[in-house]
Amino acid sequence: MAGIVLDNVTKQFSNGYKALEEISVTFDAGTMTFLTGHSGAGKSTFLRLLIGADEPTRGRVLVGGVDISQLRKKRMPWYRRSVGVVFQDHHLLADRSVFENVALPLRIGHFPAKEIASRVRGALSAVDLLDKEKLLPGFLSTGEQQRVGIARAVVNRPKILFADEPTGNLDPTLSKTIMDLFSQFREIGTTVIIATHDIGLVKDMGQPTLNLIAGRLDPAGSSGLVGQTEVRR
Amino acid sequence: MESKQSENLDPWGKPVGGFANWLKDHGRTFNETTLFVSQRLASSLFVWFLVGIALSLPGVLWLAQVNLQAVGEGWQGRAGLTVYFEPVVDTQDIEDVLLDLKKVPIVKTASLTTSDQALQDFIAQTSESQDLRNILESLDANPLPASIQITTLDSANFIQLESLQRRLSAQKQINDVVIEKTWLERLADLTTLLNRLGWILGLLFAFGAIFVTSASVRLAIESRLEELRVMALVGATRGQMRRPFIYFGACYGFGGGVMAVMFLALILTSIEGPLQALLGSYQVPLQVKGFDGAFLLWVVGVGVALGIIGAWVAVKQRLRSAQIL
Repeated sequence: MAGIVLDNVTKQFSNGYKALEEISVTFDAGTMTFLTGHSGAGKSTFLRLLIGADEPTRGRVLVGGVDISQLRKKRMPWYRRSVGVVFQDHHLLADRSVFENVALPLRIGHFPAKEIASRVRGALSAVDLLDKEKLLPGFLSTGEQQRVGIARAVVNRPKILFADEPTGNLDPTLSKTIMDLFSQFREIGTTVIIATHDIGLVKDMGQPTLNLIAGRLDPAGSSGLVGQTEVRR
Repeated sequence: MESKQSENLDPWGKPVGGFANWLKDHGRTFNETTLFVSQRLASSLFVWFLVGIALSLPGVLWLAQVNLQAVGEGWQGRAGLTVYFEPVVDTQDIEDVLLDLKKVPIVKTASLTTSDQALQDFIAQTSESQDLRNILESLDANPLPASIQITTLDSANFIQLESLQRRLSAQKQINDVVIEKTWLERLADLTTLLNRLGWILGLLFAFGAIFVTSASVRLAIESRLEELRVMALVGATRGQMRRPFIYFGACYGFGGGVMAVMFLALILTSIEGPLQALLGSYQVPLQVKGFDGAFLLWVVGVGVALGIIGAWVAVKQRLRSAQIL
């Protein structure tokens, strides 16, 4: 179980642009939270800080009690192996089959071949792509590529799951399927944070929401946080 | 205090089974590298060729230096002087010089070759040339002078040899005195020159080999940059990301080393004839030294080491600039 705390976090880029400003928020372990806001509100930067791809200019990002920005580079890979990430632009390897793309985190984590096969097929089945495991990503539609990315994020059975616009290219039925999959992970104790534009979907799921406006938390636009996710201003 | 507490609570520690996994990774990387290189055989051959050239020139210079040194050592026992008399000289004068030489402390042996013996030796050595024999037969008198070959003690230095040369040259029945040692001095100078040149060129070409492998590995990195970005985000360690490229470098270096060995063998084979003729004229048998198993292993080993260094430089620079490491 891994709770996440952002303590007065500001991220300012070298050109002076502040993507996030004075964000303080706590996500309890085993919760599912939506991160909403317009394009450029800071959602992607928020997730990049959580996976250690960027460092805050000020403040701390604590995951499981550890300041991620202070993790030595040698220890960062171990942290990332316990995190599943769905990228907005999929980040699939064009020269690897669907199976190999999904298997990548498991190969890096030295899982036995049998377990890799079993887990990859399980994940592909969950996103309804089992029949396409041998294809290269170039032969898939954008929505299918998105689902491969989702399968890769969950195949490692992560303690924390971050998703950046995971349903952006999916039809409503598939979007619902994917959200149900994320909910199943939440039920087994995974902390899930999903950045999305899809307000309808957020309302349907009835989960806490954090709304960002120009890099700042918007308490008025955030909801359902009491008891699960606390917004401190 | 707080950081110590964080350390104790750290859930992101290194997983167990690290060494076995590390070995497994090496095995997989080895297979991937073999596949990668065999799939790009033409470009790999080109890199091997360039690294091979870079390694073979210093290798040739080193072999030349070792062999010249060996020739010098072979001549050491025969260092000394040769005294050439005037074409017409009394036998008594020659005997006097011989007796005089036996009293000189640095002289080990002094042996006389009369003009008749010199002529017979010359005829024997040029037995295959009918033209030379015809010329000799057409002469009224034997043109070859009597000579004395002097060998000196190993401890004799060049100054002592020069002093003896001056003393002998002053006698009117003596036409010329040649110090054999001058050849050794020149040879020693040449060996030193080749040694220096070998080191300088060795360093320059080593940088060349590093540059070639570095550039080739950089190309391999570029073609897999997206994969490396994804690998980093899903938890690959720095070692896992670097390893394939270090193996590429080692492979390029190994191939270059093997290529260099082949070039050296080719060079030695092609100069064997002229070298045999040259050494034969000094009565030195052709026996190439240094081109043995240890030398070949050394060349290949240096190739591998340079390849690894080149790859390391490329990986470090490129992955850092791409903000992956």
